[in-house]
Amino acid sequence: MKKVFKLSLLVPMLCACLLAGPVHGSSLEDNVVEHRFANGLQLLVVERHDTPIVSAYITLGVGSVHETSETRGVAHLLEHMLFKGTETLGTTDYTKERPLLEKIEQVGSQLDRLRLESKPDPEQVAALEKRLDELQNEHKQYVVKDIFSNLYAENGGVGYNAFTSKDLTTYLINLPSNKLELWALLESDRMKHAVLREFYTEREVIHEERRRSYDTSPNRRHYETLVSNAFTVHPYRNPIIGWHSDIANLNLEKTRDFLKKYYAPVNTVIALVGDVKAEEAIALVEHYFGDMAPGTPVPNVAAVEPTQKGEKRIVDIFDAEPRLAIAFHKPTMPHQDDYVFDLIDQVLGNGRSSRLHRSLVEEQQLASSVSVYGAPGSRYDNLFVIEAIPRHPHTSAEVETAIYAELEKLRNELVSQDELVKARNRLVTDQLRHLKSNSGLARMLTSYQSLSGDWRYLTTYAEHIEQLGAEDIKTVAATYFTPSNRTVVMLQREGSAL
Amino acid sequence: MRPLRLIYTLLLLLLTLLAIGACTSPMPQHPDQLQYAELHFQPPDVEKLVLSNGVRLYLKEDKELPLIQLTAMIGAGAMTTPQEKTGFNSLFGSTLRTGGADGWTPEALDEQLDLLAANLSASMGPYVTQMDLSLRSVDLDQGLEILSALLRRPAFAQDKLDHARLQAQESVRRQNDNPGAISRRLLMAALYPDHYLGFSPTLETLAAVSREDLVRFHQTYFAPNNLWLAISGDFDRQDLLAQLETQFGDWAESDVTEQVLPPIVRATSGAIQVVEKDLPQTTIVIGDLGLTKDDPDQYAVQIMNYILGGGGFNSRMMREIRSNRGLAYSAYSYFQTGRRFPGPFIAGTETKNSSVVPVIELTREIMADLRDIPVTEAELQLAKESKINSFVFGFENTHSVVGQQMRLDFYDYPDDYLSAYRDNLAAVTVEDVQRVAAKFINFDNQQMVLVGNSGDFLKSLEGFNLPVREVVLDESP
Repeated sequence: MKKVFKLSLLVPMLCACLLAGPVHGSSLEDNVVEHRFANGLQLLVVERHDTPIVSAYITLGVGSVHETSETRGVAHLLEHMLFKGTETLGTTDYTKERPLLEKIEQVGSQLDRLRLESKPDPEQVAALEKRLDELQNEHKQYVVKDIFSNLYAENGGVGYNAFTSKDLTTYLINLPSNKLELWALLESDRMKHAVLREFYTEREVIHEERRRSYDTSPNRRHYETLVSNAFTVHPYRNPIIGWHSDIANLNLEKTRDFLKKYYAPVNTVIALVGDVKAEEAIALVEHYFGDMAPGTPVPNVAAVEPTQKGEKRIVDIFDAEPRLAIAFHKPTMPHQDDYVFDLIDQVLGNGRSSRLHRSLVEEQQLASSVSVYGAPGSRYDNLFVIEAIPRHPHTSAEVETAIYAELEKLRNELVSQDELVKARNRLVTDQLRHLKSNSGLARMLTSYQSLSGDWRYLTTYAEHIEQLGAEDIKTVAATYFTPSNRTVVMLQREGSAL
Repeated sequence: MRPLRLIYTLLLLLLTLLAIGACTSPMPQHPDQLQYAELHFQPPDVEKLVLSNGVRLYLKEDKELPLIQLTAMIGAGAMTTPQEKTGFNSLFGSTLRTGGADGWTPEALDEQLDLLAANLSASMGPYVTQMDLSLRSVDLDQGLEILSALLRRPAFAQDKLDHARLQAQESVRRQNDNPGAISRRLLMAALYPDHYLGFSPTLETLAAVSREDLVRFHQTYFAPNNLWLAISGDFDRQDLLAQLETQFGDWAESDVTEQVLPPIVRATSGAIQVVEKDLPQTTIVIGDLGLTKDDPDQYAVQIMNYILGGGGFNSRMMREIRSNRGLAYSAYSYFQTGRRFPGPFIAGTETKNSSVVPVIELTREIMADLRDIPVTEAELQLAKESKINSFVFGFENTHSVVGQQMRLDFYDYPDDYLSAYRDNLAAVTVEDVQRVAAKFINFDNQQMVLVGNSGDFLKSLEGFNLPVREVVLDESP
């Protein structure tokens, strides 16, 4: 191999540009201004004045993992419903609208109950459907459509969105920096005075979202099958969006309850990154959010996944070419083994010179791609996943065997120094790349603050992985890469050979 | 650390109290009560240079993070590829990236790039060929050395080409896995009959591409006077220029003939193609030819499209199909501005199989309204304000800024394109919107593709007055 640059030089150079270290005289550690308000709300601000824009992220420390069997899908449904406005925004007259909303809920609930009966009377169903339709049509006169979206767009906002994960729910917008007060007004109003209007229509939207994102997509469907089978007890097994029957059985009462219970300052982290002044941002947030009652913290999930005792093997039938996925249970952050798995990610699957890519894709040419990642969340113990696309005429079974051969090597032999250096460089540099945009930084700050209680997970990260070595990788591989700890899902057409 | 932090926190608290003290006005209850400071923003400058051998440089420093991004663009692309070699572009891009270079075996190159945690990619589009490199600023010299080796002396190793071909053939075998991909492929073929823009690769066309084809393309078009470089990030200007001189300075200029692009021919009439796939939802795409970057109507089209389906929740498609009726999760439209030929104008959504016909009817109704009835002043203003006020977001990412400037120059955009952009949008009127809607919305010309369980709707498509063709997809080869 020609042109090997001096490795020993790379490590100290890297340290010079670590997040924890100085980045041109300042570091992330120094640049994050942190403030906790009296009601428990947490605010993180990073000033970046290059362009007159700001990214605003609000993260609630609640996600689908906090649902019960009666409320599966509600975290995500609520996220949709919170786009519908408040008592003052999105309505022409809330005092007139409110009684109508109550009637709609009454008829809708009646209809939902009826549909759950073993033999619902079709005439009664039709009559209620008609009544619901009429009421919803009547309601339209009071609705000012998609008001948040409208106001943000008019003021130059981009990327207005929200996402629900297993662990968190986040609402985000990027605005020209002179419009920050609009964000504070809208978002505080949303937290305090949300009105869950147009519920039954939105529930249909979510069925369509499920059809689009899972039921018609082989890779998303494959992933869903993997996760829902890998866990037996822990709610990580449930899809964020819910199954169709879950969605159909969500109602306004459950949705409102979830909102009231969890959308509270003690569970909220806000990040503002961009052309803002920290002290002004703190004053602004105090002004708009400071009068909210603290609320109660989201309780921990009580369910504990029992140790898996034996391989789970699933065949998932779908009209698509074959795909293979293998998941191993593992601990989550900040367990040391989780950091080791980050290194294993790199050694096995990241980059063209990584082991699985070089062996399965380049040399044996069994697979057209192999990827590795952690899933499905980070608040509770999770999974290390290896996904592969077999290359015709090779089968999922051949690819699976080849993957295990590589895992065996990792269990029995030490990785090289070069591989370790590559893995560390990649982890630290990719982290830097994620911090580049205002929204990337805001997202990382709110996520880590909410998940681990301290955004400094980011700044101490490099230090942690620097201390881990080849022995740690070997030990962790030997501990977790066992047949009885794995779930294997093969997606394929009906009747096709494994 | 701790005591310092405490003092800091107290200080912040104090500042907060002061700020609140100053902020005695009552909390505004409605956005109408808010007042905003003026926002002054002009697009940032990009430094442009030309090396003595014709390499065009676009530079912008950004010292915030110790990273550098480079984009190398060659002014020739795949549009002249004959149909029987469709897929040449993907094989060229892959093999340029993975096939090694003078002094570098493919494996050594991958190893080195991974050691540096660098990201390198190569791709060929219809008009240009591009390499993108992202790396730490301390590694700039090595990155430039590698980039120069690949641009000037790529090896196109035969075994890497063969492997790229197998990989591309596997993608062909998987091209019917996703309804979105099927609909897009059939739509482009219908919009650009017998043209590169409508072709998609097959096992045979991929097999027909030889190493010689790659080498010939490289020899013909890779020259310093056909190279455009955009560089952003944490570099020292003088060092960078010196390094560029070292890596590219001795590359001799050569005559590069401009590619003669095959003209497009409009399809004679619209049609509906139906693809049976046993899925619980049907993917619907509707397309026609749109416009080129030289079309004076492009600003009016942007506003019209925002109102139609480009403005997210503020668009009529999203409001009527999703928000008011719950018939879909996504509903959208867009014009992809063509550089030299009209790009596609596409509208689409996905809905359960039993709602396909009502959703198409609704989409057509929305389109017909835009064509027949003036939009409201409020809709016009919202679309314009949204586009104008969000203009600043095009400039957050320094590399987008240099890359954009490079492409504007390459494609001969007017010098004042960026500076006049907001004024051009502001000038659009209600009449303009209706005029361009009439110009681009012609139901007779529209190509429609439906992928889903067609039993639910096949018989009801006749009302749309377009020929209906059932397309049977090839079994996986």
